[in-house]
Amino acid sequence: MRYQILITGFGGQGAVFLVKLLSIASSLKGYNCIGTENHGMSQRGGSVSCGIKIGDFYSPNIDENSADLIIALEKDEALRYIHFLNQKDGVLVVNSDDKFDKIKQKHIKFDAFAKAKNGDFDIGGLNVYMLGVAMKNVENFPFSFDEIARSLEIFNPKVSSKNTQILRLAMEEK
Amino acid sequence: MKQILMGNEAIALGLIHADVDVVSGYPGTPSSEILTNYQKLKDKLNLTAYAEWATNEKVGYEVAYANAMSGKNSCATMKQVGLNVASDALMSSAYIGNIGAMLLISADDPGFYSSQTEQDSRTFAKFARIPVLDPASPQEAYDFVKLGVEISRKFESPFMLRPVMRVGHARGICEVEENHEFNPPKANFIKNTNRWAGVPPGPRSVQGGELLNKVEQIRDYNLQTFISPKIAELKGAKTLCISSGVASTYVREAIEENKLDAEVLKLDMPYPLPYHKLNELCKSYEQVIIFEEPYPCIEEQLNAPNLLGKFSGHVHQIHEFSKEKVIESFKKARLFNDSNPYQASKFNAHSIASRPPTLCPGCPHRDVFYAMTRTFRSKNSIYVSDIGCYTLGLNQNAIDSFLCMGASVSMASGFSLAHPEKTVISTIGDSTFLHSGVTGLINAIYQKHKFILLIMDNSIAAMTGRQTTPERSNPENIDIKRIVEGCGITCHEYVYKPDMNKTLDFMKELKEIYKTSDMPIVAVIREFCVLDKERSNKLLPHKLVSVDSDKCVECDTCISKYKCPPMSYGENHKVEIDPFLCAGCAACIDGLCPTDAFVLADLGEEK
Ligand code: SF4
Ligand code: SF4
Repeated sequence: MRYQILITGFGGQGAVFLVKLLSIASSLKGYNCIGTENHGMSQRGGSVSCGIKIGDFYSPNIDENSADLIIALEKDEALRYIHFLNQKDGVLVVNSDDKFDKIKQKHIKFDAFAKAKNGDFDIGGLNVYMLGVAMKNVENFPFSFDEIARSLEIFNPKVSSKNTQILRLAMEEK
Repeated sequence: MKQILMGNEAIALGLIHADVDVVSGYPGTPSSEILTNYQKLKDKLNLTAYAEWATNEKVGYEVAYANAMSGKNSCATMKQVGLNVASDALMSSAYIGNIGAMLLISADDPGFYSSQTEQDSRTFAKFARIPVLDPASPQEAYDFVKLGVEISRKFESPFMLRPVMRVGHARGICEVEENHEFNPPKANFIKNTNRWAGVPPGPRSVQGGELLNKVEQIRDYNLQTFISPKIAELKGAKTLCISSGVASTYVREAIEENKLDAEVLKLDMPYPLPYHKLNELCKSYEQVIIFEEPYPCIEEQLNAPNLLGKFSGHVHQIHEFSKEKVIESFKKARLFNDSNPYQASKFNAHSIASRPPTLCPGCPHRDVFYAMTRTFRSKNSIYVSDIGCYTLGLNQNAIDSFLCMGASVSMASGFSLAHPEKTVISTIGDSTFLHSGVTGLINAIYQKHKFILLIMDNSIAAMTGRQTTPERSNPENIDIKRIVEGCGITCHEYVYKPDMNKTLDFMKELKEIYKTSDMPIVAVIREFCVLDKERSNKLLPHKLVSVDSDKCVECDTCISKYKCPPMSYGENHKVEIDPFLCAGCAACIDGLCPTDAFVLADLGEEK
């Protein structure tokens, strides 16, 4: 098992949250994992990328042309880091409206901002929503709904039911 | 027991499992979470231990070191540039040594993610002649803390742990001790003037000689404990890669993923090295490449004829490693001939919004910088700033120069001497002022340098993760205003309001006062950090703002001078506010836009 996920977005969107969540899921499944987080200069609104490598790796960093999956919480941040995607088989899941640039890499786009504006879920849950979009659409995603729901529970039982609901909402989207 | 830990959490847990009960340091990315997590663990486990932020790194080191002299296990935490501040104490402590354990954790930042310089703390260990361990993962960070405490006690020498950002901020699964019985050694300072207060030249030169002896012993220990077992495991390939810390992880992955005829010798303790043995080992390989980040610390200690590395131009010299760079080195060494598998072309087009490091939406610093540049025009002023969030004022062209922690005050002195015809304005945060700005102020007052000093007091060390500051922890005793007054001058005070007109008025007042002064003009601006929920929730008005597009004349004032991240040009070329980014401070409503285009958003519902 070797699977590399890069999360991109801007400061305040909760990219680090997803890395922590996925590391819990990995350990529940008995996979090794190593990831990096972003701290420091990137204040609210600054560009953020962090990742997790699931399986047997040594280095914490995801290299160019290597990510199996990029979850982009915002469209510009998808393009900024697109060269980290495995250009042949990698998949990009991006939060974007119709105006996403034409790219040759495999991608799935979904306008989660519009959903949040519409009041379908709280904007604070955007990261979990996009994770749900990825889980639904990416064939070889390494974790099931139950495994992620269980990880949410372990991470923070206080808000896990709300987050699980958002996850389910995303996965039930047609 | 397995746990998922971030490197800095692993280090904190390691400290507890190594019976370290004194931890002192100064926050600095990427080191800050070590002390924060130690504090959390100590509270959770209900341990009696000391774990507090010091006013600066030198102070932190000295507090810890006195404990190590007394037989306790102590630790000082900082980042690589912080070690510059603590280096005076470090150099002497290496001579004198310790009875208990003295652990210095200096976190490096190859790649300049949040630092002014790259530096390599390992070379500082070499300079001070103390042993250093270089972990490659959160697991090793945990293990090496425990090992380091042992080494420090055994050799009576301070010991350095040098994690890099990719260790401290990496997250992985770690095997850690279960049910550790916390049993720190008791203090017992035994007076011995010759050792603890050895004046030059007599006792100190003796200690210098002893230090050289220790280094030789540690060199040998390094060989026996760390290196020999690893040499025994080498299989014999054409190329040997010598590496340490995180650098070794990229090399390993690149070799395995591309099935290359090379193997890795990872040095856990990159100083002091048994160089005879290693030079000898190099002879059995066709070529040896040294990979380390960021400086050539190992390379400087070896001199076999078939060494390739930074000196020979085979390995890059600056910025952190990546597998791409490792492969480039392998290509130069003719170990790899295909195209680099870790390269892909970037998306280059028009449309990607640039997001330079910037102050958070709603941050009071933005208003202060804006009012400052409006009141004191750039042409007639020199703006000096310091290290911390206010560094981000660069974005607003509110900073001409910054150097290192606390320097803004003394540099303002310098600029005022060089340019008496200009108004020199220095900006500094509360934590940085107390760290080392205050000494500069004392100097400026006693020598009557004329400039304006704005102390932007948000009562927290914001950039490094909102650690508490002396004033925040102990406001009855420590108050910046009274400290300034204690230096013999007036301290002007402004309690920040998210209303640009008020901030501008205050700045104009300062301008008036400055005209007739022959002393530094000092003002403390009481602010808050928007991420500091405890205070900001009360102080932010939570009013969302939008732009009346009929009124917006595209004058660009808000976008190019004020630069709050939610502001951007929309499709009709009028300014729009992104409601997902807006902090609801409403500071932009009055006094910013010349046509008053900013209005309260009609939301329907409250955010
Ligand atoms: S972290 Fe706090 S002080 Fe720093 S830019 Fe954001 S709001 Fe301002
Ligand atoms: S109210 Fe105005 S100044 Fe405050 S965060 Fe929103 S856009 Fe920025």
